[in-house]
Amino acid sequence: MCHQTVSLVARHLEEQGIPTVIMGCAKDIVEHCGVPRFLFSDFPLGNSAGRPLDAESQTRTLELALRVLESAPAARTTVQSPQRWNGVASWKRDYLDLAKLSPDSIAERRKEFDEVKTIARAKREGS
Amino acid sequence: MTMVAPGAKAELAIEDDGPIPYMQRTRDYYLALGYGNPYRWARFDEVPFTPLRTPLNRARVALITTAAPYQPEAGNQEPGAPYNAAAKFYQVYSIPSESVPDLRISHVGYDRKHSSAADIHAYFPLARMKDAAAAGRIGSLGPRVHGAPTNRSHRATETDAEELLRRCREDRAEAAVLVPS
Repeated sequence: MCHQTVSLVARHLEEQGIPTVIMGCAKDIVEHCGVPRFLFSDFPLGNSAGRPLDAESQTRTLELALRVLESAPAARTTVQSPQRWNGVASWKRDYLDLAKLSPDSIAERRKEFDEVKTIARAKREGS
Repeated sequence: MTMVAPGAKAELAIEDDGPIPYMQRTRDYYLALGYGNPYRWARFDEVPFTPLRTPLNRARVALITTAAPYQPEAGNQEPGAPYNAAAKFYQVYSIPSESVPDLRISHVGYDRKHSSAADIHAYFPLARMKDAAAAGRIGSLGPRVHGAPTNRSHRATETDAEELLRRCREDRAEAAVLVPS
Protein backbone atom coordinates (compact mmCIF):
# COMPACT_ATOMS: atom_id res chain seq x y z
CA MET A 1 0.00 0.00 0.00
CA CYS A 2 2.92 2.33 0.67
CA HIS A 3 3.89 2.37 -2.98
CA GLN A 4 0.35 3.03 -4.15
CA THR A 5 -0.04 5.79 -1.56
CA VAL A 6 3.03 7.73 -2.67
CA SER A 7 2.09 7.15 -6.31
CA LEU A 8 -1.31 8.77 -5.82
CA VAL A 9 0.22 11.63 -3.84
CA ALA A 10 2.95 12.23 -6.43
CA ARG A 11 0.34 12.39 -9.18
CA HIS A 12 -1.69 14.93 -7.22
CA LEU A 13 1.30 17.17 -6.41
CA GLU A 14 2.40 17.03 -10.03
CA GLU A 15 -1.07 17.91 -11.34
CA GLN A 16 -0.93 20.96 -9.11
CA GLY A 17 2.50 22.08 -10.29
CA ILE A 18 5.00 20.49 -7.90
CA PRO A 19 7.50 18.15 -9.59
CA THR A 20 8.11 14.87 -7.78
CA VAL A 21 10.29 11.80 -7.70
CA ILE A 22 9.46 8.52 -5.96
CA MET A 23 12.22 6.33 -4.53
CA GLY A 24 10.85 2.79 -4.20
CA CYS A 25 11.23 -0.98 -4.41
CA ALA A 26 7.88 -2.14 -5.88
CA LYS A 27 8.24 -1.48 -9.59
CA ASP A 28 5.00 -3.07 -10.72
CA ILE A 29 2.75 -1.18 -8.30
CA VAL A 30 4.23 2.23 -9.11
CA GLU A 31 4.26 1.70 -12.87
CA HIS A 32 0.77 0.22 -12.85
CA CYS A 33 -0.51 3.39 -11.19
CA GLY A 34 1.48 5.64 -13.52
CA VAL A 35 3.72 8.32 -12.00
CA PRO A 36 5.91 11.12 -13.36
CA ARG A 37 9.36 10.01 -12.10
CA PHE A 38 10.49 6.88 -10.31
CA LEU A 39 13.84 5.62 -9.08
CA PHE A 40 13.51 1.85 -8.69
CA SER A 41 15.87 0.02 -6.34
CA ASP A 42 15.65 -3.75 -6.75
CA PHE A 43 15.82 -4.31 -2.98
CA PRO A 44 13.46 -6.00 -0.51
CA LEU A 45 10.52 -3.81 0.54
CA GLY A 46 11.59 -1.49 3.32
CA ASN A 47 14.79 -0.25 1.69
CA SER A 48 13.58 2.46 -0.67
CA ALA A 49 16.34 4.83 0.40
CA GLY A 50 19.28 2.45 0.06
CA ARG A 51 20.93 -0.49 1.76
CA PRO A 52 20.70 -0.51 5.58
CA LEU A 53 23.78 0.54 7.54
CA ASP A 54 25.43 1.62 4.29
CA ALA A 55 25.61 5.40 4.05
CA GLU A 56 27.35 5.25 0.68
CA SER A 57 24.53 3.17 -0.83
CA GLN A 58 21.98 5.61 0.60
CA THR A 59 23.87 8.63 -0.73
CA ARG A 60 24.11 7.11 -4.20
CA THR A 61 20.42 6.20 -4.14
CA LEU A 62 19.37 9.73 -3.24
CA GLU A 63 21.73 11.25 -5.79
CA LEU A 64 20.25 9.11 -8.54
CA ALA A 65 16.73 10.09 -7.47
CA LEU A 66 17.69 13.76 -7.63
CA ARG A 67 19.09 13.27 -11.12
CA VAL A 68 15.82 11.66 -12.18
CA LEU A 69 13.97 14.63 -10.69
CA GLU A 70 16.13 17.06 -12.69
CA SER A 71 16.38 15.30 -15.96
CA ALA A 72 13.36 13.07 -16.67
CA PRO A 73 12.20 14.03 -20.17
CA ALA A 74 8.57 12.99 -19.71
CA ALA A 75 6.06 11.27 -17.42
CA ARG A 76 6.46 7.55 -16.62
CA THR A 77 10.23 7.87 -16.42
CA THR A 78 11.62 4.92 -14.45
CA VAL A 79 15.32 4.60 -13.76
CA GLN A 80 16.60 1.41 -12.15
CA SER A 81 19.42 1.78 -9.68
CA PRO A 82 22.47 -0.31 -10.65
CA GLN A 83 22.89 -1.39 -7.03
CA ARG A 84 22.26 -5.04 -6.16
CA TRP A 85 20.87 -6.27 -2.84
CA ASN A 86 23.42 -9.07 -2.69
CA GLY A 87 25.07 -11.52 -5.03
CA VAL A 88 22.10 -13.86 -5.42
CA ALA A 89 18.51 -13.19 -6.37
CA SER A 90 16.96 -16.00 -4.31
CA TRP A 91 15.50 -13.52 -1.79
CA LYS A 92 12.97 -12.58 -4.45
CA ARG A 93 11.23 -15.96 -4.19
CA ASP A 94 10.27 -15.59 -0.54
CA TYR A 95 7.82 -12.68 -0.41
CA LEU A 96 4.31 -14.12 0.13
CA ASP A 97 5.59 -17.44 -1.16
CA LEU A 98 2.66 -19.87 -1.18
CA ALA A 99 4.81 -22.86 -2.06
CA LYS A 100 6.17 -22.97 1.49
CA LEU A 101 2.78 -22.86 3.22
CA SER A 102 0.94 -25.96 4.48
CA PRO A 103 -2.89 -25.92 4.70
CA ASP A 104 -2.55 -25.43 8.48
CA SER A 105 -0.32 -22.43 8.13
CA ILE A 106 -2.66 -20.95 5.50
CA ALA A 107 -5.51 -21.20 8.01
CA GLU A 108 -3.29 -19.61 10.65
CA ARG A 109 -2.37 -16.73 8.30
CA ARG A 110 -6.02 -16.13 7.55
CA LYS A 111 -6.84 -15.94 11.24
CA GLU A 112 -3.98 -13.47 11.79
CA PHE A 113 -5.08 -11.34 8.85
CA ASP A 114 -8.66 -11.15 10.15
CA GLU A 115 -7.34 -10.03 13.53
CA VAL A 116 -5.11 -7.41 11.93
CA LYS A 117 -8.02 -6.06 9.88
CA THR A 118 -10.14 -5.70 13.02
CA ILE A 119 -7.38 -3.77 14.81
CA ALA A 120 -6.77 -1.52 11.79
CA ARG A 121 -10.49 -0.77 11.42
CA ALA A 122 -10.83 0.18 15.09
CA LYS A 123 -7.80 2.46 14.82
CA ARG A 124 -9.06 4.07 11.61
CA GLU A 125 -12.51 4.71 13.01
CA GLY A 126 -11.02 6.10 16.19
CA SER A 127 -8.79 8.60 14.41
CA MET B 1 38.74 -21.99 -19.48
CA THR B 2 36.23 -23.07 -16.87
CA MET B 3 32.60 -23.05 -17.85
CA VAL B 4 29.49 -23.52 -15.80
CA ALA B 5 27.34 -26.18 -17.42
CA PRO B 6 24.12 -24.61 -18.72
CA GLY B 7 21.87 -26.46 -16.29
CA ALA B 8 18.30 -25.79 -15.24
CA LYS B 9 19.44 -24.24 -11.98
CA ALA B 10 21.38 -21.46 -13.67
CA GLU B 11 18.44 -20.66 -15.95
CA LEU B 12 16.07 -20.49 -13.01
CA ALA B 13 18.33 -18.04 -11.23
CA ILE B 14 18.25 -15.74 -14.24
CA GLU B 15 14.49 -16.02 -14.67
CA ASP B 16 13.90 -15.17 -11.02
CA ASP B 17 16.02 -12.07 -11.14
CA GLY B 18 13.47 -9.57 -12.46
CA PRO B 19 11.55 -7.17 -10.23
CA ILE B 20 9.16 -9.03 -7.91
CA PRO B 21 5.56 -9.00 -9.28
CA TYR B 22 4.00 -7.78 -6.03
CA MET B 23 0.48 -7.31 -7.37
CA GLN B 24 0.37 -10.90 -8.67
CA ARG B 25 1.90 -12.32 -5.49
CA THR B 26 -0.58 -10.42 -3.34
CA ARG B 27 -3.52 -11.51 -5.48
CA ASP B 28 -2.47 -15.18 -5.39
CA TYR B 29 -1.73 -15.05 -1.68
CA TYR B 30 -5.08 -13.66 -0.58
CA LEU B 31 -6.97 -15.92 -2.96
CA ALA B 32 -5.15 -18.87 -1.39
CA LEU B 33 -6.14 -17.61 2.05
CA GLY B 34 -9.75 -17.75 0.89
CA TYR B 35 -10.51 -14.11 0.20
CA GLY B 36 -12.31 -13.50 -3.08
CA ASN B 37 -12.68 -10.20 -4.88
CA PRO B 38 -8.99 -9.34 -5.40
CA TYR B 39 -7.83 -5.83 -4.59
CA ARG B 40 -7.98 -3.35 -7.45
CA TRP B 41 -4.74 -1.41 -7.59
CA ALA B 42 -4.93 2.18 -8.77
CA ARG B 43 -4.25 2.63 -12.46
CA PHE B 44 -4.43 5.64 -14.78
CA ASP B 45 -3.90 6.14 -18.49
CA GLU B 46 -2.90 9.76 -18.16
CA VAL B 47 0.13 10.73 -16.09
CA PRO B 48 0.74 14.38 -15.13
CA PHE B 49 4.15 15.95 -15.55
CA THR B 50 5.52 19.24 -14.27
CA PRO B 51 9.07 20.12 -15.32
CA LEU B 52 11.44 21.27 -12.57
CA ARG B 53 11.54 25.04 -13.08
CA THR B 54 14.05 25.98 -10.37
CA PRO B 55 17.53 24.48 -10.60
CA LEU B 56 17.84 21.87 -7.87
CA ASN B 57 20.70 23.69 -6.16
CA ARG B 58 18.33 26.58 -5.54
CA ALA B 59 15.12 24.60 -5.00
CA ARG B 60 13.37 23.87 -1.73
CA VAL B 61 12.63 20.16 -1.65
CA ALA B 62 9.96 18.46 0.46
CA LEU B 63 10.30 14.96 1.89
CA ILE B 64 7.19 12.78 2.19
CA THR B 65 7.26 9.41 3.94
CA THR B 66 4.85 6.58 4.79
CA ALA B 67 6.78 5.67 7.94
CA ALA B 68 4.92 6.09 11.24
CA PRO B 69 5.92 8.09 14.32
CA TYR B 70 6.74 5.73 17.18
CA GLN B 71 3.72 5.35 19.47
CA PRO B 72 4.74 3.99 22.89
CA GLU B 73 1.23 2.69 23.62
CA ALA B 74 0.83 0.83 20.31
CA GLY B 75 2.71 -2.38 20.94
CA ASN B 76 5.81 -3.84 19.33
CA GLN B 77 7.30 -1.52 16.70
CA GLU B 78 10.89 -2.72 17.03
CA PRO B 79 12.94 -3.74 14.00
CA GLY B 80 11.65 -7.10 12.80
CA ALA B 81 8.39 -6.84 14.79
CA PRO B 82 5.41 -8.68 13.28
CA TYR B 83 2.96 -6.60 11.26
CA ASN B 84 1.42 -4.18 13.77
CA ALA B 85 -1.89 -2.66 12.69
CA ALA B 86 -2.18 -0.78 15.99
CA ALA B 87 0.84 1.30 14.96
CA LYS B 88 -0.87 2.60 11.82
CA PHE B 89 -1.90 6.24 11.49
CA TYR B 90 -4.79 7.74 9.56
CA GLN B 91 -4.08 11.47 9.61
CA VAL B 92 -1.40 13.32 7.66
CA TYR B 93 1.32 14.42 10.08
CA SER B 94 4.22 16.89 9.87
CA ILE B 95 7.37 17.13 11.93
CA PRO B 96 10.21 19.68 11.80
CA SER B 97 12.99 18.69 9.42
CA GLU B 98 15.49 19.93 12.00
CA SER B 99 14.44 17.17 14.39
CA VAL B 100 15.70 13.60 14.40
CA PRO B 101 12.34 11.82 14.24
CA ASP B 102 11.77 8.28 15.43
CA LEU B 103 9.82 6.77 12.56
CA ARG B 104 9.05 3.04 12.32
CA ILE B 105 7.61 0.70 9.71
CA SER B 106 6.06 -2.10 11.78
CA HIS B 107 2.67 -0.94 10.40
CA VAL B 108 3.42 -1.92 6.79
CA GLY B 109 4.25 -5.05 4.80
CA TYR B 110 7.98 -4.64 4.33
CA ASP B 111 10.10 -7.71 3.65
CA ARG B 112 10.55 -9.06 7.17
CA LYS B 113 12.51 -12.08 6.05
CA HIS B 114 15.24 -10.25 4.22
CA SER B 115 15.22 -6.89 5.94
CA SER B 116 15.10 -5.97 9.60
CA ALA B 117 14.14 -2.26 9.44
CA ALA B 118 17.01 -1.71 11.86
CA ASP B 119 18.33 1.34 10.01
CA ILE B 120 15.87 4.22 9.59
CA HIS B 121 18.06 5.68 6.84
CA ALA B 122 17.23 2.73 4.56
CA TYR B 123 13.59 3.82 4.39
CA PHE B 124 13.71 7.47 5.43
CA PRO B 125 16.39 9.58 3.72
CA LEU B 126 16.19 12.68 5.95
CA ALA B 127 19.85 12.50 6.99
CA ARG B 128 20.97 12.01 3.38
CA MET B 129 18.80 14.93 2.27
CA LYS B 130 20.38 17.09 4.96
CA ASP B 131 23.75 16.03 3.54
CA ALA B 132 22.54 17.04 0.07
CA ALA B 133 21.42 20.45 1.35
CA ALA B 134 24.71 20.99 3.20
CA ALA B 135 26.62 20.10 0.05
CA GLY B 136 24.58 22.53 -2.03
CA ARG B 137 23.15 19.71 -4.15
CA ILE B 138 19.65 20.92 -3.28
CA GLY B 139 18.86 24.50 -2.32
CA SER B 140 17.23 23.52 0.94
CA LEU B 141 15.09 20.93 2.61
CA GLY B 142 11.50 21.90 3.37
CA PRO B 143 11.00 23.01 6.99
CA ARG B 144 8.81 19.98 7.72
CA VAL B 145 8.75 16.33 6.80
CA HIS B 146 5.27 15.10 5.96
CA GLY B 147 3.77 11.70 6.71
CA ALA B 148 1.26 10.05 4.38
CA PRO B 149 -1.15 7.46 5.83
CA THR B 150 -1.37 4.18 3.91
CA ASN B 151 -4.90 3.14 3.04
CA ARG B 152 -6.51 0.49 0.87
CA SER B 153 -9.10 3.11 -0.09
CA HIS B 154 -8.00 5.18 -3.09
CA ARG B 155 -10.47 7.85 -2.05
CA ALA B 156 -8.98 8.19 1.44
CA THR B 157 -5.54 8.62 -0.12
CA GLU B 158 -6.85 11.25 -2.52
CA THR B 159 -8.11 13.24 0.47
CA ASP B 160 -4.72 12.89 2.16
CA ALA B 161 -2.99 13.93 -1.08
CA GLU B 162 -4.90 17.21 -1.04
CA GLU B 163 -3.80 17.85 2.54
CA LEU B 164 -0.19 17.02 1.65
CA LEU B 165 -0.37 19.44 -1.28
CA ARG B 166 -1.65 22.15 1.05
CA ARG B 167 1.24 21.58 3.46
CA CYS B 168 3.85 21.49 0.68
CA ARG B 169 2.53 24.84 -0.55
CA GLU B 170 2.63 26.27 2.97
CA ASP B 171 6.27 25.20 3.07
CA ARG B 172 6.87 26.78 -0.37
CA ALA B 173 8.27 23.49 -1.62
CA GLU B 174 9.34 23.56 -5.26
CA ALA B 175 9.79 19.81 -5.61
CA ALA B 176 9.10 16.70 -3.56
CA VAL B 177 10.84 13.39 -2.87
CA LEU B 178 8.39 10.64 -1.88
CA VAL B 179 9.60 7.52 -0.14
CA PRO B 180 7.38 4.49 0.56
CA SER B 181 8.41 2.13 3.30
